[in-house]
Amino acid sequence: MNVLAFIDVKDGKPIGTSLELLTAAKEIGETADAILVGEGLEEAAQAAAKCGAGKVSVVEAEGLLTEEALSSILAQAAEAYDLLLLSATTLGKTITPQVAGKLGAGSANDVIKVSVEDGKVKVLRPVYSGNLQQELAIKTDKAVVSVRGGSYDKPQEEGAAAPVEKLDLAAEEDALRSKIVDVIAEAGETVNLEDAKVVVCGGRGMGTKEDFESLCGALADVLGGVVGASRPVIDSEWISRTRQVGQSGKIISPDLYIGCGISGASQHVSGMRDSKYIIAINKDEEAPIFEIANLGIVGDVKKVIPILVEEIKKRKESEG
Amino acid sequence: MEILVCFKQVPDDSVEIGMDASTGKPDLKGADPQGNAFDTYALEMAARYTEEHGGTVTACTVGTEDDKVCLKNALAVGAKKAYLVTGTDAETQDADQVASVLAAAIPKMEEANGAKFDLILCGRESTDNIGGQVGELLAQKFPYPFVTNIVAVDPKDDGATMKKELDEGYQVLELPLPAVATVSKPNYDPRYPTIKNKLAARRMQIPEIAAEPADAKVEYLAFSEPPKRQAGVKIQDDDDEVAVKQAMEILISDKVL
Repeated sequence: MNVLAFIDVKDGKPIGTSLELLTAAKEIGETADAILVGEGLEEAAQAAAKCGAGKVSVVEAEGLLTEEALSSILAQAAEAYDLLLLSATTLGKTITPQVAGKLGAGSANDVIKVSVEDGKVKVLRPVYSGNLQQELAIKTDKAVVSVRGGSYDKPQEEGAAAPVEKLDLAAEEDALRSKIVDVIAEAGETVNLEDAKVVVCGGRGMGTKEDFESLCGALADVLGGVVGASRPVIDSEWISRTRQVGQSGKIISPDLYIGCGISGASQHVSGMRDSKYIIAINKDEEAPIFEIANLGIVGDVKKVIPILVEEIKKRKESEG
Repeated sequence: MEILVCFKQVPDDSVEIGMDASTGKPDLKGADPQGNAFDTYALEMAARYTEEHGGTVTACTVGTEDDKVCLKNALAVGAKKAYLVTGTDAETQDADQVASVLAAAIPKMEEANGAKFDLILCGRESTDNIGGQVGELLAQKFPYPFVTNIVAVDPKDDGATMKKELDEGYQVLELPLPAVATVSKPNYDPRYPTIKNKLAARRMQIPEIAAEPADAKVEYLAFSEPPKRQAGVKIQDDDDEVAVKQAMEILISDKVL
């Protein structure tokens, strides 16, 4: 099986979840190569080269690419491979079927396991808000698959770097009909929830926007983490939708997740159940989130969080 | 503008779906069928567009007689016509087969409507299978431009501008029509049907269009339950200070802090 991993780059660096693809690729592939597309990719290509890729190809493309243009380029690059892996980010999940359609390949999004059986790709993916999972066998010779972040370990940097070469590819004419005419950035939205080690999520139980911001913010700050939220908080516009954790939001698996005033509806749990350690704070002792929490504190978030923040501060200070 | 909105009928997404131990399949009892949430957003977007700029909205779905529920609902909240596309087997169909029968049925719907579609919309993903592939695969079967995850569409000269949702903001794209797009959640909710519209929708005919699916590219195998997480320690104390102290001890011994 010859595997190509698409390494997505943000601010000049590979996003963590796309480097994880190399771990999956090496596990199942005789060759595990990487491809990057865009401009200013030298540093990112070197990072991928040190993470165990057999070969790193860089397609130079100026300016912002539409998803159609990127799909066209990746489909051409994937011609020489049996399997193209992408990270199941918002971008990856939309590119995966577009590339598959161009190649006539079978595809699957957001898988948590990839294996090979009799030369064919098999995957496992969550369905029904993660309450169930289903195994799929891809019957075509070629496959395109997006892999959920956190499903594979991030590869260790190796001493020797793989060769990096330029690959001369451009989007086909018919992929250039849509044009990006404007980009609207959301203020302060550079945070990458998927790559964060600590995520503090607030739910409707935080009561007000002010309490959500100050309490969840303080807890995230003292732990060096970032703030996320459940769907009701997003709908109330207490924070940007880019912070939504759960189905149709971000799927995260941080080292530490703290749910504050979050009941644990399956739509939210499906986005955080793979967190390594889960703390839940909720005044409703019956809240379903306690069933999956390593540590639950039954209590009022407005009283518990300030005390917890102080205790953590003290602990950090005593550790120096 | 003539707009087609493609629906998937799914079990009520507010009902938690578990495994039916006797069949090894999802237990859908108690989850009433409904139109997929993102498809209802697409319909609302289409309805608003045609109300402002003219045109008609057509809804369609792939399935059997049982899948007409979502089309009846669509006819009550903005769709003027609806078609049921048959030919796939719900048990075995993959996303590409759904896209292939849609692609085959679209010219037949256009013929019946007496007009070509300018815009074909799909929800970004279904709430049951969460595959997120049908819109993308459908777009590959037409020589039309394609944008995913749009939250707004407006006319622009002979084409359209679309606002596309990104992780860190939005992109605005210009493209010629006809076009295909998938729809994310805009900042408005779908309308509720009036009783009058509901009754009128119930009486409307939903023609069926038969189409031959492409060969399956993906085989759906067994369902399983994900490994259960064990509940850990739950601390409950009237004194919050005491509760937090206990919590800190556990966090330190678990090496979280």
